[in-house]
Amino acid sequence: MATRNRTTVYRKHRDACKSARAPLSLSASDSFGGPVIEMVSGSFSRSNHSSYAPLNSDDPGPSSSDAFTIGMPPAWVDDSEEVTFNIQKVRDKMGELSKAHSKALMPTFGDNKGIQREVEMLIHDITDLLRNSEKRLQKLSTRGLSEESNLRKNVQRSLATDLQSLSMELRRKQSTYLKRLQQQKEGQDGIDLEFNMNGKMSRLDEEDELGGSTIKMKKGQHVSAEREREIQQVLGSVNDLAQIMKDLSALVIDQGTIVDRIDYNVQNVSTSVEEGFKQLQKAERTQREGPMVKCATILLILCFIMIVLLVLKNILL
Amino acid sequence: MVLVTSVRDYINRMLQDISGMKVLILDSETVSNVSIVYSQSELLQKEVFLVEMIDSISVSKESMSHLKAVYFIRPTSENIQKLRYQLAHPRFGEYHLFFSNLLKDTQIHILADSDEQEVVQQVQEYYADFVAGDPYHFTLNMASNHLYMIPAVVDPSGLQRFSDRVVDGIAAVFLALKRRPVIRYQRTSDTAKRIAQETAKLMYQHESALFDFRRTESSPLLLVIDRRDDPVTPLLNQWTYQAMVHELIGLQDNKVDLKAIGSLPKDQQVEVVLSSEQDAFFKSNMYENFGDIGMNIKRMVDDFQQVAKSNQNIQTVEDMARFVDNYPEYKKMQGNVSKHVTLVTEMSKLVEARKLMMVSQTEQDLACNGGQGAAYEAVTNLLNNESVSDIDRLRLVMLYALRYEKENPVQLMQLFNKLASRSPKYKPGLVQFLLKQAGVEKRTGDLFGNRDLLNIARNMARGLKGVENVYTQHQPLLFQTMESITRGRLRDVDYPFVGDHFQQGRPQEVVIFMVGGTTYEESRSVALQNATNSGIRFILGGSAVLNSKRFLKDLEEAQRISRSGSHMV
Repeated sequence: MATRNRTTVYRKHRDACKSARAPLSLSASDSFGGPVIEMVSGSFSRSNHSSYAPLNSDDPGPSSSDAFTIGMPPAWVDDSEEVTFNIQKVRDKMGELSKAHSKALMPTFGDNKGIQREVEMLIHDITDLLRNSEKRLQKLSTRGLSEESNLRKNVQRSLATDLQSLSMELRRKQSTYLKRLQQQKEGQDGIDLEFNMNGKMSRLDEEDELGGSTIKMKKGQHVSAEREREIQQVLGSVNDLAQIMKDLSALVIDQGTIVDRIDYNVQNVSTSVEEGFKQLQKAERTQREGPMVKCATILLILCFIMIVLLVLKNILL
Repeated sequence: MVLVTSVRDYINRMLQDISGMKVLILDSETVSNVSIVYSQSELLQKEVFLVEMIDSISVSKESMSHLKAVYFIRPTSENIQKLRYQLAHPRFGEYHLFFSNLLKDTQIHILADSDEQEVVQQVQEYYADFVAGDPYHFTLNMASNHLYMIPAVVDPSGLQRFSDRVVDGIAAVFLALKRRPVIRYQRTSDTAKRIAQETAKLMYQHESALFDFRRTESSPLLLVIDRRDDPVTPLLNQWTYQAMVHELIGLQDNKVDLKAIGSLPKDQQVEVVLSSEQDAFFKSNMYENFGDIGMNIKRMVDDFQQVAKSNQNIQTVEDMARFVDNYPEYKKMQGNVSKHVTLVTEMSKLVEARKLMMVSQTEQDLACNGGQGAAYEAVTNLLNNESVSDIDRLRLVMLYALRYEKENPVQLMQLFNKLASRSPKYKPGLVQFLLKQAGVEKRTGDLFGNRDLLNIARNMARGLKGVENVYTQHQPLLFQTMESITRGRLRDVDYPFVGDHFQQGRPQEVVIFMVGGTTYEESRSVALQNATNSGIRFILGGSAVLNSKRFLKDLEEAQRISRSGSHMV
């Protein structure tokens, strides 16, 4: 496809116009010329690594009264930059997590508590980062139909899409890991069964049988306890995933629909982002305090019932 | 594919070298060019966090100097004026200007003069000056499309504007394809001749250096033809999916506006997107006829119901996890199913209400088969039928008039009178105006296949054999034109070359530009022709995409101007 660059012609014209104007205006144009040229060359020489290159941090010489310089961005940009930085950290940690998972799944004869703790720590770190990012993302939400709010909403959307895909990736990794862990445990269980059957079938002396059965019982208890814990974890992660999916899907654009059309967005400012974040807030809260709140309310209700019964007993007697 | 990819490539190049948060500023025409090939989510990935129109940006006063402005606009004088003001009072940190067509030196001078604060970093011409809706079909979405029917003496400046816009659009297409074509035009159309000559002047004289591309062994062909050579196709009712949606509801930039429909199912958006790039079901069904679409949609709904049922049958924890993982695809599928079901339901309702099966059968007979007497009977009956709407009556009489213009003028006059008496909104003389514009003397091609013996014989053979589907038996005239080009038999007498151009052998790429607008039936014909791999790739473009309503509106507008023009003259 053909293109044509008219920048040189344009610059020539511009310089000609400037020199034509120069005798009229005095030193003003000179002071403008300097820092602008620096910035121009600066922005061209900077290469673009990640898609989230930080803004031009070259401090413009003159003060912020020069409206044409790339001035200090508004405060909310700090939040969005923090979120992008977190997203990058999460990506790195996910890589580490995959490695840790594969190490943990390797069959070992010793107990792998060490590697399991590492896995749990990584998962904990990642979820913390994600939660932090979601909280910061909330700060970007704003009301009103101004250009600025439109801009913030779009930044929000883009970051929300990334966060959603990262959380989904995390949960998927977790569930596959747990599934394979379960399979491994079942495999060990199968070995137990065989061992048991062999024990019964063979005509060993009773001591051996006794010894064998106690070992089997201990192993069985150990396995069922672990299985219990893992199932709880799976339930927990599925719950989390459901919540996050529901909330973030309000923010994320469905590709191929009318909401993904530029002309539609130019004409309408969608308000669903607001709703999405309200729900995200709610979900955050309930997710963190859910089980505890439930416990507390149950206990309170029980207390009330007891008090009522006590009072009734006293009244009746 | 090639046009869509060109526009996407242009946009990618615009955005890729500029880092940081950007705002994309478009004008009312480029917003269509961009929206039809690029999605909002893709823009967000490129860090374009705000999209504005050049009109509204002057109004706001907030200074957003942490953003870089990327302008993609047409180089019209209005845009230059607005841009001039915005450069003099810059709101953004950097300004990168991309124009969708050639800039004049004076325009560059004006902009440079206003850029006192030197915020402009680059000025480029990226020739994405057309709306690439489908792989082989583009349009220019021109509002004053009717101007092509008006002789130059009545409104010379209007015709000049029309011609300029068309030439710009065609030039942009060839610059995007990096080709310089050999140009032919339809002899009987003054507008086509004018456009062909001005395009040739631009490509071979004014901007000869810009168009000087690497020559391939056979030059591509640009054929400029006039809508009035085939006035039948836009008047017919359509029965293939994309064409039918445009005819009955209206398709604009691949979007359908469902506001007119009374009751929408809940969760159904008021506007939907029908794009072959993004919707696999639409891609495989856009050229299928109505009956087949119904079956395919039913199959899609059944598949979806199965998925929905299995989703409700969640028993184990793994099922739950799987459901939640697959939720986004499920939602997308649901949206898609709902969209197509709503469209087809609405179209069925309209077909039922307007008795289109009956009307269309007669239309197809008028367009394809002979028999003046029987045709007269059929049209009269339908005119007398109360449930036939005004627009359908008008179309029937027009089709009859186009076909039997010279046979039995008495009966023709009777039909005119009957039409005038039955349709209160009918603008008198419209049919006669159509005949003046596109009557048998004005037409080059053999529209009804009754001009030379070979065609008559072919028609009779087809009539004896019978047709697969009565409702889709019509082939647009474009099909014959494409066949002639494929066989290398496009007559020089009817379609002369511009200047001293000459074509050696058959071209491998052909761009057909229809002045006055194309229809989706014709774009379907082109797509099917390209699928036969005959060695020639056809691309079709027009000044607008017509349906019968639009074509009639253009006719009325042209008639009104001609009348007032003749009063003035």
